[in-house]
Amino acid sequence: MNNEYAISVNNVGKTYRSRRGQENTVLRGLDFHVEPGRFVSIVGQSGSGKTTLLKTISGLQEPTEGEILVQGRPIQEGIEDIAMVFQSPVLLPWRNNLDNVLLPLEFRGARTDEARAYAMELLEMVGLGGKAKNYSYELSGGMQQRVAICRALVSRPKLLLMDEPFGALDAMTRDSMNFEIQRIWQNTGCSVLFVTHSIPEAVWLGDRVVVVGDRPGRIIADIPIDLPRPRGKEHRYSADFSDYTSEIESHIGVVAGIS
Amino acid sequence: MATPDLRHPDRTAADRPLPAAKPSGQKTPGRTFPRESLVAGVKAAVGIIGLFMVWELLVLVIDPADYLFVGPLSAFAELFERPGYFAENTFVTLQEALAGFALGTALGVLCGAALHYSATARSFLYPALIAIDTIPKVALAPLFIVWFGFGFESKAFVAMAIAFFPLVINTYDGLSSVPHELQELARINRASPWKKMVKIDFIYAIPSIFSGAKISISLAVGGAVVGEFIAGSKGLGYVILLANSQVDLPSMFAAFIVLAAIALTLFFLVDYAGRKLAPWKNHTK
Repeated sequence: MNNEYAISVNNVGKTYRSRRGQENTVLRGLDFHVEPGRFVSIVGQSGSGKTTLLKTISGLQEPTEGEILVQGRPIQEGIEDIAMVFQSPVLLPWRNNLDNVLLPLEFRGARTDEARAYAMELLEMVGLGGKAKNYSYELSGGMQQRVAICRALVSRPKLLLMDEPFGALDAMTRDSMNFEIQRIWQNTGCSVLFVTHSIPEAVWLGDRVVVVGDRPGRIIADIPIDLPRPRGKEHRYSADFSDYTSEIESHIGVVAGIS
Repeated sequence: MATPDLRHPDRTAADRPLPAAKPSGQKTPGRTFPRESLVAGVKAAVGIIGLFMVWELLVLVIDPADYLFVGPLSAFAELFERPGYFAENTFVTLQEALAGFALGTALGVLCGAALHYSATARSFLYPALIAIDTIPKVALAPLFIVWFGFGFESKAFVAMAIAFFPLVINTYDGLSSVPHELQELARINRASPWKKMVKIDFIYAIPSIFSGAKISISLAVGGAVVGEFIAGSKGLGYVILLANSQVDLPSMFAAFIVLAAIALTLFFLVDYAGRKLAPWKNHTK
């Protein structure tokens, strides 16, 4: 078995059947692999089934065709080292930031002093060490999403799934969050699947960009991004960078206007 | 670390006046909440006193016969003339209403939770509940008297029947409004149904459950009074009926005032409890 892959998506398809018997194929013939510790961006227009793909990989939904292996095991077995970051932070308003970060461990019955110390460490890593006892309404949108990222990391996942995590943030906050997530990923060494519809974001962050076409969702390109790490602001203006973004744009078939 | 300024989270300590420059006795910006609620209380009191004044003025201007309409002054005079009589009957109605409310709340929350968590309950119970809800609960009062007799129980059950439905609907709504991301977070982390229920669902539903309770508490008082109308020798409903037979309008209006005061007090108690249990509600955007 392909144990060397963090995720193997083998010929995965997903078809919803309506009550009237109409079939709606959301994903068809998806086939790709992610090596451990890699950052893979998935980009595509909205409605191309990117979120369905992430939910299928996380085990929240089952594929109707093919199989998904996480570290060589089928996801149905109950893999414990997957975590997910959603588009909105959805923190619990009655818990302070530290308690929000610890929620996944409470679900697993693993809230220990050691876990608490690790949660504090994570909050410090994202620059919110001083806000551990604050509540989410006291934080900006970007800060809330950083707490949500800590909540995902607290269970020490080997695989982090991110579903347009910065889509709701303003452009400036989004830029700084991109730097942040690069740093976090390099610190933790987990594999990341990052869904976005921003092509520059996908290129700047990814070791690879998987381009998903819509209706039904299928892979139309898988482009390795050969830019040095760690990447800084200067890479956004390099000739290589704009070559990558225009190549992806031509695959998706957009002319301009996508940020 | 500086204390967070709750009302202005975007303000840093530097934006606030320096403590030294503050005259003694002036409240800090973060601690003005008690004063705000005091102001709100004063405004509410002014409104109620104003209502009484308009009412008294109306009586003065129209000058109706005192077997048709009386002003608040004669109602209050009646209240102070027979304080024991009113206190005793108020206590009876209060007990019936509170017992009915407590029972209705417990059953309503249970039913609402059953509707949310069980698809079977939803498909069988929900239509049946809606069907029962269309029967005016007041119409059930004679039945409860047949079942539970002329005493305390039948009135408490009328109050319960009325208090029940708002809690079913609001509990169900509150539990159903938990964001799907939180459901997914619980599933990814293999949370047991019990842990998800106590750590997320029910806390999330508290504000909604209390909205239902605020409706129910006033309805429960009304339910107890209706029960007393039909069969009773005690309680404010009985006071009203007795006043009716004696054409004693001051007594009748005194009972109205006491009923309104009870409902108002209970409403604010429930409202206060809801705020205490879900303090984050005011901050959720």
